[in-house]
Amino acid sequence: MSDNHNSAGGVPTTGHVWDDDLADLTNQPPKWWMLGLTASAIWVVVYFLMYPAIPFAVNGTFFKGIGLPGTGKWTAIKELAEDQKVLDDVRSKYENKLKGMTPAAILADKELSEYVIRSGKVLFGDNCAACHGQNGIGTIDKHGLFAPVLNDDDWLYGGTIDNIHETIAGGRQGMMTPHKDSLKPEQIDAVAKYVKALSEGKGDSEQAGKKVFMESDCTACHGPDARGMQAMGSANLTDRIWRFDGSPEGIKRTVTDGVNAGPDSRIAVMPSFKTAGKLSDTEIKKLAVYVYKFGGGVKDDVPAAAPAAR
Amino acid sequence: MEATQATPVKYDMDVVRWFTIMATVYAVVGTLIGVYVASELAWPFLNFDIPELTFGRLRPLHTNAVIFAFGGCVLMATGFYIVQRTGQTRLWSSGMAWFTFWGWNLIIVLAVITLPLGLSQGKEYAELPWWVDIMIAVVWLSFGLNHIMTTAIRKTSHIYVSNWFTMGMIVMITYLHVVNSMAIPVDWATSFSIYSGVQDAMIQWWWGHNAVGFYLTGGFLGIMYYFIPKQSGRPVFSYRLSVLHFWTLTFGYVWLGAHHLQYTALPDWTGSLGAAISLAMIIPSWGGAMNGMMTLSGAWDKLRTDYILRFLVTAMAFYAMSTFDGPVMSIKTVNALSHYTDWTVGHVHAGALGWMSMISFGALYHMVKKLWNTEMYSDSLVNVHFWVSLIGAVIYIVAMWVSGIMQGLMWRDYDEYGTLTYTFVESVSAMHPYYVMRAVGGAIFNLGTWIMLFNVVMTVRQAHAVRSVNAVAARA
Amino acid sequence: MSDHDKIYSTKLQDKIERNTLLMFVVTAIAVAIGGIVEIVPLFYLPNTAMAGGDGTFNNTSHKDLQGNAIPMDRIVWNPATSPHKTLDDWQPGDGVRPYKPLELAGRTIFIREGCFLCHSQMIRPFRDEKDRYGHYSIAEESMYDHTYQWGSKRTGPDLARVGGKYSDEWHRRHLYYPREVVPESVMPNYYFLDKKMVDVNKTVKTMEVMVRMPFNPVPRTVYSDAYITGAKAQVEGKTEMDAVIAFLQSLGNHVKFEEGVNYRD
Ligand code: HEC
Ligand code: HEC
Ligand code: HEC
Ligand code: HEM
Ligand code: HEM
Ligand SMILES: [Ca+2]
Ligand SMILES: [Ca+2]
Ligand SMILES: [Cu+2]
Repeated sequence: MSDNHNSAGGVPTTGHVWDDDLADLTNQPPKWWMLGLTASAIWVVVYFLMYPAIPFAVNGTFFKGIGLPGTGKWTAIKELAEDQKVLDDVRSKYENKLKGMTPAAILADKELSEYVIRSGKVLFGDNCAACHGQNGIGTIDKHGLFAPVLNDDDWLYGGTIDNIHETIAGGRQGMMTPHKDSLKPEQIDAVAKYVKALSEGKGDSEQAGKKVFMESDCTACHGPDARGMQAMGSANLTDRIWRFDGSPEGIKRTVTDGVNAGPDSRIAVMPSFKTAGKLSDTEIKKLAVYVYKFGGGVKDDVPAAAPAAR
Repeated sequence: MEATQATPVKYDMDVVRWFTIMATVYAVVGTLIGVYVASELAWPFLNFDIPELTFGRLRPLHTNAVIFAFGGCVLMATGFYIVQRTGQTRLWSSGMAWFTFWGWNLIIVLAVITLPLGLSQGKEYAELPWWVDIMIAVVWLSFGLNHIMTTAIRKTSHIYVSNWFTMGMIVMITYLHVVNSMAIPVDWATSFSIYSGVQDAMIQWWWGHNAVGFYLTGGFLGIMYYFIPKQSGRPVFSYRLSVLHFWTLTFGYVWLGAHHLQYTALPDWTGSLGAAISLAMIIPSWGGAMNGMMTLSGAWDKLRTDYILRFLVTAMAFYAMSTFDGPVMSIKTVNALSHYTDWTVGHVHAGALGWMSMISFGALYHMVKKLWNTEMYSDSLVNVHFWVSLIGAVIYIVAMWVSGIMQGLMWRDYDEYGTLTYTFVESVSAMHPYYVMRAVGGAIFNLGTWIMLFNVVMTVRQAHAVRSVNAVAARA
Repeated sequence: MSDHDKIYSTKLQDKIERNTLLMFVVTAIAVAIGGIVEIVPLFYLPNTAMAGGDGTFNNTSHKDLQGNAIPMDRIVWNPATSPHKTLDDWQPGDGVRPYKPLELAGRTIFIREGCFLCHSQMIRPFRDEKDRYGHYSIAEESMYDHTYQWGSKRTGPDLARVGGKYSDEWHRRHLYYPREVVPESVMPNYYFLDKKMVDVNKTVKTMEVMVRMPFNPVPRTVYSDAYITGAKAQVEGKTEMDAVIAFLQSLGNHVKFEEGVNYRD
C-alpha cells in the first residue's frame, strides 16, 4: 500500500499513521535551524569557558573562566566594582571635598550645595519621606502629625545646620511625662484650654488653666513663657504650629498621656541613622544641608528665638 | 501493519468531557481572579480590608487557578483524549481516571479555601499546604500512571509525538514536586522547607522554571502536536524536527532554573550555567514553533474560515515570541534590568495568555465538537472570542513590557551628578497608568473566556437536545 | 516490506518510540541531569552557606582587603567564640543569627500574608541597589531562612536591610494604613494583624522544627531546651502586628560589612 497518502508537494510521510489521519512528513529541519542548533551548542561551550560556569571547585577555588576578550575574568562583584568606579569618578570631585567638611561649610559652598540638593532628593525620599513626607511636608494620620513638618521654620530641636545635623545623626525622642496621675481631669481640661488659648494669643482669658500651667511641672520643660526649650525638644506652645494635634481633644491627650512615656502615650521616635548604620557620615551631612535648604533653616548668628504667635 | 481504519474503538471519553467542561469553567475563574489582583494594584482600596482578599493572599490563588485548575484540566482532558485516540485504545483504567478527576478537583477546591485563609508555604506556584502537596502527588501519579499505561497498551506500533511530551511532563513534574515540597510541618496550616537560603532558592527555581518548561510548555506542546495537524488536516511538518525538538527541549530546559537567580547570593557559576543554556534554548523552541506553523504550509487559506485553527496558530506565534523574550531576559545585562520588574510579568503572560491559553482554547473547541459530536453553537462567537483574547493579551503584554522596562530604568537612573534620580515611590506612582491598562486588557481577555463558556454550554445543551430527540425518535 | 518500516531518525530513536518503558527510562534520565548538576554542588561547594555544624562552612573563606581570611564567626554568629553568648545578648554586627521567638512568629505571618510577592529580600551587587538598599546580600544571611524569602518581584521596595530604618511606631502606622503615611502606596492595609494574638504554641513548635532541619538547622546551643521554654514568655501577649514588626526590625544588620571587601566569591 502507499503509505505516502498524506504527502504534499512530493514529500512523503514516515508512513506511520495515528488516529486515522495523523502523520509526520519526512521534511528535513530547515538548514538555518540545524546551523542554529550547532551554533547554540558551540555557544554554550564558549560561554562556559569564558564565564565562571562550572560547578567544580578544588580547595575552595572555582574555575573562573578564561575571561572575556579585552575585559578579563568576570565575576558579579568585579562588575560591581567597575560600575561603581564610573560613578565614583563623577562623584569624587564633590564627595572627596564633602568628607572633610562640616555641614555649615558645605552650606556656604554654592557648588557643593547644588550637588547636595541633587543627591539629597532620593536620600530623603527613600529614607525620610516615609515619616516626614515627600519634601518634608509631614505625614498626618488620625492621631495627628506623625513627624514634624520640615519645610517650615518652626523647629523643636533648633533649625541651625548643626542642630539639624545632630538630629539626623543621633536621632531624637522628645519626652513628656504623662499627667493623668498628677493632675485631675478638670485640671487637664483647664490647662488644655489655656494652651489652646495661648496659641491664639489670648492666654490670659484662661486664668484657671494658667494657674495649673504655672504651678504644675509644665514650666520645667516648656518654660514660664511656654515657648519651649530646643535643648530638650519641648514644643513652643505659643504658636499655632502643632507638633501633634491642636484640637482640644488632641491637646488633652498629649497632656494626659505624655510623649514617649509609656505604651499609652504619644510615640515620637526619630531613629538614629548613624547607630543603625543606615547612612554614612557624608550622607547624613548631605541630608542636613538638604533639610536646611527646604527653606526653614536658621542662621547660626540669629538667636534661636521663637517667632511670635502668628 | 498499523490499524489505520481498524474497527472503531469505544473510547473512554466521559472523563475527558468533564475535564473539558471544568477547564472551560476554570479559564473564567482563573482569569477573573487575575483581573481582580490586577485591579488591586491599580486601585488598592479593592483590598477592602478583608484579609482573605488582600493581594498577598489572592495572587497565589490566581496563579494556582490558572496553572493547576485551568492548565491542569486542559492537560488532563487533552492527555486522556490524545493518548486514547493515538493509541487506538481505551484508557488503561477508567476508574483511576475518575479518581484523577475528582482528586484534582478536590485539590482545586482546597486551594480556593486554603489560599485566601493564608495557608501558604511561601514558595511561588508551590504555596499549597503540605497535606495538599501529598494529595497532589497521589493524584498526579494516578494521572501519570494511567497515561503511561495507556501508552503502553496502545495498538499502534509507535508512540505518537504528543505522548512523548506528556511523558516528559509526567516524569519531570513528579521529580520537581517531590523534591521542592520537602518540608517539616509545624501544624496542619504551616510547614517549613527543609532547605534554606541558597539551596532552597535553587530548588524553588528548578521547580519554578520547569513547572513552566514541562507543564505550561512541554504539556502544551503535546497538545500542539495533536491539534494543529488534526484541525488543519495536514501531517506534522517534519518528523525529524519533532525528534530534535523533543530531546533538546527535554534535556535542555531542566538547566534553565538558575536564570531566575542571577546576581543573587548564589555562586556566579549557577547563574552563568542557566544563562548560557537559556539563550541556546531559542533554537529548540523555535523549532517547535516552526514545526507547528509549517504544518499549515499549503493550507494557510484555512485560517480565513477556521477560527479554531486561528487560535492554534496564533498560539504558536506567541510561543515563538515568549521563547525569544525569555532567552533575552536570561542575558546577564538584560536580567540585571528586568529582574524584579513587570517585564517578568509581561513575559509570563505572553506565554500564559498568548501561548498556553490560546492553544488551550483551540484544543477545547476542537474537543467539544468531537466529544459531543456536533458543530459549535456559534462559530462567530468563536471568532469573537479569538479577537477578544488577542486584543486583551496584547494590551496586557504591552502594558507590562513598557512599565517593566520603565521601572527597571527608573530604579537605576543616575543624573549627571552621579546620584539616583528617582525615589522608589516615584516608580510606584509611575506604574499606575500601566496597572490600569493591564487590568483593562485582562478584563477584555476574561470577557473572552465568558464567551467561550457560554458557547460551550450552549453547544453541549444543543447536542444533548438533539440526542434525546433522536433517542425518542428511535424508540418510537 | 513497505517503506512503512523505514526509519527516518535513528535505530535507537525508533526503538524508544516503540517501547513505552524504554522511553520512560530514557526520559527520566535525560530530565534528571540538569537539576543534579545545578543543585547537588550547592550542598558541598564553598560560598553556599552550608554549615558543617561545627562552625565551618564547606571551605568558604572571605578575604579582607589585606588578603587575610575573615574568620567565619565574624560572618555567622557563633556563641562559642562570640563575647555575646545568647540571642538576647547578641548585638548587630556579631554575625548572622537565628531569629528570636517573636521575630520567628513574625516571619511565619510574613509568609502567610504573601509579603514576598511584592517585596524582595535579596540585594544584588549593583551600584544603584547599594545606594538604595545598602550592601548586597550574601549567602550566609539567609542560611537560617527555612523557606527562603528572596522573592522575585519588587512591587514594593526590597526589605533585606529594612531593620532599624524606621521606628516600630512607623511600621505600625504604615502596616495599618500604608496610604496614610505613603500616599502613593499600593500595599494592602494590614491593621487586622493587630487584632490577633501571636500563637504561642505554634511559635514554640516552629522553634522545635527549626532545630530538627536536616540542612542548616538552628544550633542546639542557640535554641536550647531552656531557651525554647523561655520563648513562651517572649511572645505571650504580643499581637501579630508586634511580631511582624519585630521580624522587619531584625532584617539586615547582622553582619558588619567592610567597604570594598568581596563577600561573595
Ligand atoms: C521613623 C520615622 C522617622 C524617620 C524615618 C525620620 N524621621 Fe525625622 N523625625 C521623626 C520624629 C517622630 C521626629 C520628632 C522627634 C520628637 O518629636 O522628639 C523627627 C524629627 C526630625 C527633625 C527635627 C525637627 C525639628 O523640628 O527640630 C529633623 C531635622 C528630622 N527629623 C530629619 C529627618 C531626616 C533628614 C530623616 C532621614 C534621614 C528623618 N528625619 C527620618 C521621625 C522620623
Ligand atoms: C518632661 C518635660 C515636659 C513636661 C513636664 C511637660 N512637657 Fe509638654 N512637651 C514636652 C516635649 C519634649 C514636647 C514635644 C514632644 C515631641 O515633639 O516629641 C511637649 C509637647 C507638648 C504639647 C504638644 C505641642 C504640639 O505642638 O502639639 C503640649 C500641648 C504640651 N507639651 C503641654 C504640656 C503641658 C500643659 C504640660 C504640663 C501639664 C507639659 N506639657 C509638661 C516636654 C514636657
Ligand atoms: C500589593 C503589594 C504589597 C504587599 C502585598 C505588601 N507590600 Fe509592603 N510595600 C508595597 C509598596 C508599593 C511599598 C512602597 C510604598 C510604601 O512605603 O508603602 C511598600 C513598602 C513597605 C515597607 C517600607 C519599606 C521601605 O524601606 O520604605 C515595609 C516595611 C513593607 N512594605 C512591609 C510589608 C509587609 C510586612 C507586608 C506583608 C504583611 C507587605 N509589605 C505587603 C507593596 C506591598
Ligand atoms: C485575564 C487574564 C489575567 C490577568 C488580568 C492576570 C493578572 C495577573 C497579575 C496582576 C499578576 C501579578 C503580577 C504582579 O505581582 O505584579 C499575575 C501573575 C501571574 N499570572 Fe496572571 N493574569 C491573567 C491570566 C493568566 C493566565 C491565563 C495564566 C496562565 C498560566 C497566568 C499566570 C500567571 C503567573 C504564572 C503569574 C506569576 C508571575 C510572576 O511570579 O512573575 N495569568 N497575573
Ligand atoms: C526558552 C524559553 C524561555 C526562557 C529562556 C525563559 C526565561 C525566563 C526568564 C529569564 C525569566 C525571569 C526570571 C527573573 O528574572 O526572575 C522568566 C520568568 C518566567 N517565565 Fe520564562 N522563559 C522561557 C519561556 C517561557 C514560557 C513559554 C512561559 C510560559 C508559558 C514562561 C513562563 C515564565 C514565568 C511564569 C516566569 C515568572 C517566574 C517568576 O515568578 O518570577 N517562560 N523566564
Ligand atoms: Ca517644623
Ligand atoms: Ca514571581
Ligand atoms: Cu525560567
